[in-house]
Amino acid sequence: MKKFYNRIAETALLPFLSVIMAFVISGLLIVFSDAAVLKVIGSPGKFIKVASSTFMNAYIALFQGAFFDPHLTQGHTLLQGFYPLSETIVTATPLILAGLSVSLAFQSGLFNIGAQGQFIFGAIGASYVGFHYTFSPVVHVTLALLAGIVLASLWGGFVGLLKARTGAHEVIVTIMMNYIAGFFILWILKTKSFLRPRRIDPLAPNIKPSAELPHLLGSTMRLHAGILIALLAAVFVWWLLNKTTIGFQFRAVGANASAAKTAGISVGVTTMLTMTIAGALAGLGGAVHVLGNQYALTSDIAGSFGFDAITVALLGRAKPRGTVMAALLFGALRTGGRTMEANTSTPLDIVLVIQALIVLFIASPALVRFIFRIKNLQSQGTLASKGWNG
Amino acid sequence: MKKSFTFKSIAILSVISASLIGIASAPMSQAAKVKACMVLDTGGIDDHSFNAGSWAGMQSATSIADVQYLPSTSSADFQPNIKKFIDLKCQLIVGVGFSISSAIVAAGKANPGVKFAVVDDSAMDCNADYSVCNAVANVKGLTFGTDQAAFQAGYLAAGYSKSGIVATYGGAPYPTVTIFMDGFAKGVAYYNSAKHKSVKVLGWDPKNPSSGTFVGDFANMNKAGQISSNFEQQGADVIMPVAGGLEAATLSQSLKSGKSVVVGVDTDAVASYPQYSSVILTTVQKGLGAAIKSVIFDVALNRFNNKAYVGTLSNNGVSIAPLHDFASKVSSRLQLDTKIVGSGVRSGKISLSN
Repeated sequence: MKKFYNRIAETALLPFLSVIMAFVISGLLIVFSDAAVLKVIGSPGKFIKVASSTFMNAYIALFQGAFFDPHLTQGHTLLQGFYPLSETIVTATPLILAGLSVSLAFQSGLFNIGAQGQFIFGAIGASYVGFHYTFSPVVHVTLALLAGIVLASLWGGFVGLLKARTGAHEVIVTIMMNYIAGFFILWILKTKSFLRPRRIDPLAPNIKPSAELPHLLGSTMRLHAGILIALLAAVFVWWLLNKTTIGFQFRAVGANASAAKTAGISVGVTTMLTMTIAGALAGLGGAVHVLGNQYALTSDIAGSFGFDAITVALLGRAKPRGTVMAALLFGALRTGGRTMEANTSTPLDIVLVIQALIVLFIASPALVRFIFRIKNLQSQGTLASKGWNG
Repeated sequence: MKKSFTFKSIAILSVISASLIGIASAPMSQAAKVKACMVLDTGGIDDHSFNAGSWAGMQSATSIADVQYLPSTSSADFQPNIKKFIDLKCQLIVGVGFSISSAIVAAGKANPGVKFAVVDDSAMDCNADYSVCNAVANVKGLTFGTDQAAFQAGYLAAGYSKSGIVATYGGAPYPTVTIFMDGFAKGVAYYNSAKHKSVKVLGWDPKNPSSGTFVGDFANMNKAGQISSNFEQQGADVIMPVAGGLEAATLSQSLKSGKSVVVGVDTDAVASYPQYSSVILTTVQKGLGAAIKSVIFDVALNRFNNKAYVGTLSNNGVSIAPLHDFASKVSSRLQLDTKIVGSGVRSGKISLSN
C-alpha cells in the first residue's frame, strides 16, 4: 500500500509542483501588469493590499470560469452553476482525443506533430457526411464519426508508410502535411460541394440535426456525448498498449527499435499501424468537435488543438490517464481564462503563459527539484522521441 | 428698485435655467449606459485593421456605452464568448467577421431580449437547405461595399504607377478580402480604358479568381513580406495588401527597398502605422467604426432595427483616405480625376458589376 502511495506521489508530484509554480509566476505577471497595482507601487502597505486582491480576483475568476460560478445559479437551478465545468469538458474533449493520438505515437517512439492535419481531415469527413447525407439519428452520427476516423487514419497512416518505406522522418513529414491539410481545407471550403447554397464565404453548411452528438445535460449546457467517446478512446489506448500483443510491439519498437527488430517484430508494420491509429484518434477529435457543437466546418476548425495536443501529451507523460487529466487542465485554463478576461480584464494571454510555464517546468525536473529541495523527485520514464537516425 | 428688480429677475432666471438644466440633464444622468460587448475575430485586437477598426467604433461610443471585448483564438471560441456576454447582461453584442454569423444568429434567436450585430455579414437565419433566409428581429447585419472605394484606389494607383505595374494580394480568399481586390483591379481597368493605357495588375484577376495571390492566413509575416518583394521584382510599384495585420510586412518591405508604395485597407494606414507614412499612398477605408457607433446609439435611444446596413461611398460607409504625405507627390490632375471617378461610382454612372 505504501508503495502505491509512493508511486502516485512520484508521478503526480512533478506535474503538481509545476502547475503551482506556473500559477505563482503568472500571478506575478498579472499583478505587475495591472494599472491599479502600479499606481500604488510606492506605498508598500497599499501595494500589498491591492496586489493581493488583484491576484486573488484573477484566480477566483479563473476558477469560477472553469468549474463553478455561483452567479449563474441566481434564478436558475444549482446545475446551471456548473455551466463552466461543462464548458471545460467541452473544450477538453477534442484535446483528449488529439492528445491520445500524440501519446500513442510517443509510446511507439514516434513524434506525431501531425495531429493538427489529422484533426482537420477528421473534421472534413464528419462534416461532409453530416451535411450531405440523411440517415436515421444513431446511424448518421456513427457514419459521420467513421468518415472522420477513416479519412484521418489514411492521412496519418500515409506518414507511417513513408517512414516505413523510405525512412522519411515523421517529424518533417507530419509538419509538412499539416500545411497541406491547412491549405486543403481552405480550398475544399471553396468548392461547390462544401459551400453553403447561395453563399460564397468559406463556410460549410451546418450538419443535419440527425448527425449531431446528443447533449448530455439538456439544451442549456453544451456538454455532449463526445466526452464519453473521448474517455472510451482513452480506455482503448490503455488496453491496446498494455493488454494486447500489438501494443506490446508498439512499446517494444518505442523502447528500442533495433532490439524489437531482432526479436522478430516488423518495425515498418508497427510504424504504419501506430500512425494509422494515431491519425484515427486525432481525426476522431476533429469529428467530435464538429458533431458536438461546431456543426459547420470553417477553415480554422482545428484552432490550435493539434499543437496543444503535443503539450497535453507531454504533460500527461504519454499515458492515457495523464493525457485525459492534462487535457482537462488545459480545457479548464482556456475556459476559465475567458471569465478571467471578461470579469477582471486580465488578458487571456496569461493562460498561454501558464500553459507554457507548466510545460517548461515539467520538461526540467532538475529545476523543480532544485527550487523545492526535493532529492528524489522522479522524472518517471523520460519521454524521448527517437533521434534523427532512430 | 431697479436693483431689486434685477436681483429678482436673476433669481427667476436662475430658477428657470436650473429647472431647464434639470430637465435636460435628467435623462442623461439617470439613464444607465448601454452595455455593449464585442466578440472579436481570430485576428485579435491589434490587427491594425478589421478588429481594431471595429473596436475603435465601440470606444467612440463610450459617452453612452460601457464597452468590452473578448478575443477569439479560433471559431470554437465564438459560442462561449457570446454566452459569456449574455451572462454579463450585455444589451448589445457585436460579432466581428462572417464566420461568427451563425453563432450570433443562433444566440439571437435564443435571446430575444438582447440586441446583436454582425460585422461583414448580413446575418440571416436560414432553413436546413438554405433555400429560405430571413432576418432575425434582434440581429442586424453590417456589410460594406469596399469595392467602391477600392475602385477609386485602383484608379489612383494606376495613375500613380510609373512602371505600369501594380499589385494586390490577400490574406485568404474570403469574399470580404477579394471584394477589395476586385474593386482595385476594376479601378485599374477603368483607368486603362479611360486613358488608353495598359497598367497591369499582379495578384488578382477578377475573371480568374483561382489565380489570385494569397498568404493563406493572416499571421504569416514572412510570407507576406516575400510576396511583396516578389511583386517588386516583377516591377510593381504600388501594392495593396488585403491581409489585416500583414500590411505591416508590406509596409516594411516597401520602406526598405524604396521600390514601391502601399495602399492600406480598413483603417487609415497612416494613423495605424505613422512610421511608414512615407510609403503609404492612401487607404481603402471601411467605415466599421461609424457603423458600429450608430448601432450602439440606436440601442441607447431605443430605435434599434434589424434592417441590413450596407456601407457605400454615398453613405460614407466606405471611402479612400486623404493622401497625407503623397498630397504633394500625386499630380493635382490625378487627384481630381480620382474624385470624379468616386462621384461617378456614387451616382451609378460607373458600374462595378462587370
